[in-house]
Amino acid sequence: MATIIESPKSLTQADFKGRVDPDWCPGCGDFGVLAAVQKALVELQIPNHQIVTVSGIGCSSNFPGFIETYGMHTLHGRSLPVATGLKMANHELTVLVTGGDGDGLGIGGNHLTHTMRRNVDLTYIIMDNQIYGLTTGQTSPTSRLGMKTKSTPHGNIEGPINPITMALAAGATFVARGFSGEQKHLTELIRLAIQHKGFSFLDVFSPCVTYNKDNTFQWFRPRVKKLEDDPAYDATDWLAAMEKSTLWGEEIPIGRFYERTDLPSLDQAEPVLKDGPMVGRSAHIDPAVAQSFIEELM
Amino acid sequence: MSRHLMKGNEAIVKSAILAGCRGFYGYPITPASEITEAAAALMPQVGGVFLQAESEVAAINMLYGAASAGVRAMTASSGPGISLMQEGISYMAGAELPCVIADITRGGPGLGNIASEQSDYHQVVKGGGHGNYRTLVLAPHSVQEMADLTVLAFELADRYRNPVVLLADGFMGQMMEPVEFPEVATEPRLPRWAVAGTDASRGNVITSMHLDTDKLEAHVRQLEAKYFITEQREARAEDWRTEDAEIVLVGYGIVARILKAVAAEARAAGLPVGVLRPITLYPFPTLHFQRLTARARAFLVVEMSNGQLVGDVRLALNGARPVEFFSRVGGNAPTHLEVLAEVQDLARRHLAGAPAEEELIVHV
Ligand SMILES: Cc1ncc(C[n+]2csc(CCOP(=O)(O)OP(=O)(O)O)c2C)c(N)n1
Ligand code: SF4
Ligand SMILES: [Mg+2]
Repeated sequence: MATIIESPKSLTQADFKGRVDPDWCPGCGDFGVLAAVQKALVELQIPNHQIVTVSGIGCSSNFPGFIETYGMHTLHGRSLPVATGLKMANHELTVLVTGGDGDGLGIGGNHLTHTMRRNVDLTYIIMDNQIYGLTTGQTSPTSRLGMKTKSTPHGNIEGPINPITMALAAGATFVARGFSGEQKHLTELIRLAIQHKGFSFLDVFSPCVTYNKDNTFQWFRPRVKKLEDDPAYDATDWLAAMEKSTLWGEEIPIGRFYERTDLPSLDQAEPVLKDGPMVGRSAHIDPAVAQSFIEELM
Repeated sequence: MSRHLMKGNEAIVKSAILAGCRGFYGYPITPASEITEAAAALMPQVGGVFLQAESEVAAINMLYGAASAGVRAMTASSGPGISLMQEGISYMAGAELPCVIADITRGGPGLGNIASEQSDYHQVVKGGGHGNYRTLVLAPHSVQEMADLTVLAFELADRYRNPVVLLADGFMGQMMEPVEFPEVATEPRLPRWAVAGTDASRGNVITSMHLDTDKLEAHVRQLEAKYFITEQREARAEDWRTEDAEIVLVGYGIVARILKAVAAEARAAGLPVGVLRPITLYPFPTLHFQRLTARARAFLVVEMSNGQLVGDVRLALNGARPVEFFSRVGGNAPTHLEVLAEVQDLARRHLAGAPAEEELIVHV
């Protein structure tokens, strides 16, 4: 008979329920992302106090308020630099970063590129609704060509960013796409992303039921095809991932496009963090050391 | 001339188009998004370019580009977005480029809230960016003025080759009032300094960089001289029943409208109260204040910020009269009863029959 080892009290989804009820519109895709994150945390059994959820500004960025972890609601577009600072101060924390397509790919796009390049050990979930939800429906960097929004009343003349291709090109070491309407699959992706040591990028279709009448649950559902259903797909093959990332239209791949585990994350690469996190360390400086750097002529 | 009922945010865009603005680069933010959305709808109808930037940092630099090419261009934002534009504003002031920026203010600091405050005064009027520069700042208090001052903003921007900010609170943007527009639209000429792609403009260089210390000093002195001229010529204020006022209420934007109601009521009760409303916040209408000291015994500054305008009023009066202060913040507007109570208190202390000076010390 197999022995089942149980921790004294295992965490359930209720333990990750936030103290504030989400203020999202009924039917918003963000509910599914929140649920999947909570389920993944239950699977991983990470104690609440070891997790920090960091966000920018947007409907999706209200996320930290709705989950029972430490939370930081930061500046529009700046969640990644804030999370980088946090991670480098205490790399033992599990840091989840959430936000919208505008927050992450528009105003925060520059930070995204550099956070991927640095391989900061964060799990970054873009709740991609192809619109600016919080500001009531303007075009976003993932809005399709021709889409009519409040700021493109004559139709969008710009083409969208492809977040997956972009993440692959920028050097993200874990790149995946999920769909709020595919709970089990999304939960699995989030679990893998959190377990990945390094920067995990997750673009999640999370329909805005109020302001985006183009990219609805009904629109996505028949189109999304799981990469995991193709046994021949090799998620360690960067070129294959690049090629898959360009598929869009009647078939849109979701799943883990790419993962590599041979590169150190930023905290692993940083020599001063070898002995443990910065936080809680004594700031004591040996007088001889102090003397020597004061005397050092730069 | 016909009058049309509309929101302040909408009036700004229509007026800008009539003032010859053909470039709008914006980024959504409540409560200024409607300006961006109106520009998105209307600009293409007159052959103007609208572009939603990826951030306010991008938007202000798009203005830098448009202005350099000699096109009248504008943007609109609010608190956090204006903070992000400060770097670009400093560069534009340094490179002497005209542009118009509408700041429809909200509550701060940080994300604050989306209710109306006037707490952008310092960052806009004093210049939130680096270096020796000023922005000209206009403060409308009606939808008609949202339209009129937008036209003036473009004129001043071109005349002084400098960024001009239209500073309005969220109420001004949302409020609906009838507006009259000019019957003839402005057709601005291509500025001779622009990088225009013509043979005549070949030698034009747009830059804010002057590595030589003497050259930068000369440049800064020249900017100073320009600002000095604006102080002499462009300061504007509205005097509302100040001719016999012994108590002068001071406020701009929505606050000025509350103050007029308060002053009217105080007058009905026999108190000689008037309102001085700065229309230009920079250049500050210093002379308007000094003129009133002949009669006025005390000034009461009312703001929806924690004491930003009051500093300029004190500088303008330079100790000549006591200046008192009342504010509401967080997105709350002062009620007319609150202000009236302040006025009555002020009258008790400063008008004929008031107690001796020593007792006043805590109030000044
Ligand atoms: C500097 C700054 N500019 C603009 C805003 C206004 N703003 C808040 S959220 C947002 C975009 C929201 O879109 P997205 O990031 O896609 O999130 P969603 O609401 O769609 O989840 C904007 C423009 C802001 N808060 N700060
Ligand atoms: S506006 Fe859209 S994104 Fe925001 S909560 Fe509502 S449905 Fe969700
Ligand atoms: Mg969005």
